[in-house]
Amino acid sequence: MKYKLYYHQTSCIGCETCERVCGFLYERPRVHLYRVLGGIPVPIGCRHCEKAPCIKACPEGALYKDDDGFVLVDPEKCIGCLMCAVVCPFGAMDLDPITKSITKCTACNELRARGLNPGCASLCPAEAIMFESTSDIFEEIRKKVAEKLASSSLNL
Amino acid sequence: MTMNFAFMCKPNEVIKTGKKVAIIGAGPAGLAATGYLVCKGHEVHVYDKLPYPGGLMVFSIPSRRIRPEHVLEGAKILEERFSVEFNLRTKVTVGNAETHEEGDDFVEKVVKLEDIIENYDVVLIATGIWRSPMPGITGEELDGVIGALEFLYRWKTYELNLAPRDRIIDVSKKKVAVIGAGHSAVDAAMTALEIGAKDVYLLYRRTINEAPAGRYEISEAIREGIKWIELVSPVKINGTKRVSSITLVRNRLEEVPSGGRPRPVPIPGTEFDLEVDFVIFAIGERPTPPPGAEKVGIQINERYGNIQINEEFRTSVKNVFAAGDVVTGPSFVGRAIEAGLRAGRSIDRYLAKI
Repeated sequence: MKYKLYYHQTSCIGCETCERVCGFLYERPRVHLYRVLGGIPVPIGCRHCEKAPCIKACPEGALYKDDDGFVLVDPEKCIGCLMCAVVCPFGAMDLDPITKSITKCTACNELRARGLNPGCASLCPAEAIMFESTSDIFEEIRKKVAEKLASSSLNL
Repeated sequence: MTMNFAFMCKPNEVIKTGKKVAIIGAGPAGLAATGYLVCKGHEVHVYDKLPYPGGLMVFSIPSRRIRPEHVLEGAKILEERFSVEFNLRTKVTVGNAETHEEGDDFVEKVVKLEDIIENYDVVLIATGIWRSPMPGITGEELDGVIGALEFLYRWKTYELNLAPRDRIIDVSKKKVAVIGAGHSAVDAAMTALEIGAKDVYLLYRRTINEAPAGRYEISEAIREGIKWIELVSPVKINGTKRVSSITLVRNRLEEVPSGGRPRPVPIPGTEFDLEVDFVIFAIGERPTPPPGAEKVGIQINERYGNIQINEEFRTSVKNVFAAGDVVTGPSFVGRAIEAGLRAGRSIDRYLAKI
């Protein structure tokens, strides 16, 4: 079963749990919560795109997908040119000041290797970050949309 | 989906240490620490005064933001798969110390903090912020003047089927003034609308641009029917026994040399009355350590009432740690969760040495 890390952005309540749990796990958080346009909360992090532009843009072949389809960086190959940052639509990249390599969300690869889920998805209280099979994610999305349609028709 | 506080391990990976930890307060900080510590093999017992775990996530934050089941199922995982003992409806105090806080009405059992400190290797205090301060103005003792936390908490206990509808603060068909512009203020105002209030005013001393909840949240509330009045401060509340109106004064903003948020300065002679049946103060909740905590040597900040800790989350008592809003004052769920995780890590290191 293929799992995806999914950000259901409109459910985000701006509580910072994703960023804070990530910071606890890795000290330098790989997902960041921004408040924009008068306070709308938006979590910014890697979406592990199916057709990841960062992988195509990397001149050194340092970005790759692991067996479960999550985008990872090989720090040995990375030259720190930031081409991936240029093409990433989600601002997912960061440069490690010590290794001079790109760092990014790994969807908690060490936890996943033990059959566990990423920290942000495990603890997001608003159910705005999910780590589920693609079929479950689309099921959730349809349910959320149905609820929204129902409540907006009540307001008519 | 479920909040998984023990996200760093599977139950069958855990190697028991034989060490015992008491967590006082089952909010985000307490549950995050519990999840971390059970993964490290420690036996964890949780104490909370409310009938369910979850703290403000379950008993104050509206269900449309955080679904209570999402949190409660997470606590159930801790209980069923990690053998965490939940002592609910249980208040922890020192000796016979008594204070009234929001959420005390479900308490059936009182346990002494001295005994807990004695019986466990480590105690983590994560009791949060369960007191709504009043501003200290004339008329605040009148019926119909309440804190936002009490208002939200009563509504949530009704929603959770823990209390009958007649225990809510029934603002239906009434005029309500909410003072403040943080998340609690917006939540209280929106809940008042949901209950069926006739008019809900959101009154703020600065402008929408300085509102702690953010311009977007306030605009949404206005769109839902909240009446926003900015640059006003409450002067006094009027009425005999019950609230009949609130006297407000208009403010102007004055730049502060330090570059912080501009300061509201009342403009003399601009006082006016607003007819209301309820006044809800949402001006920031206060930390509520176990009553009498200072008597066992836990250092508490005299001005704000928060527990003092060092960088390892340790209080001035050797085996007592503290984390979350009871240390920081009102914050964000995520910050409390992080504090709980970090306190858990620090407790685990301490336990490795004893």
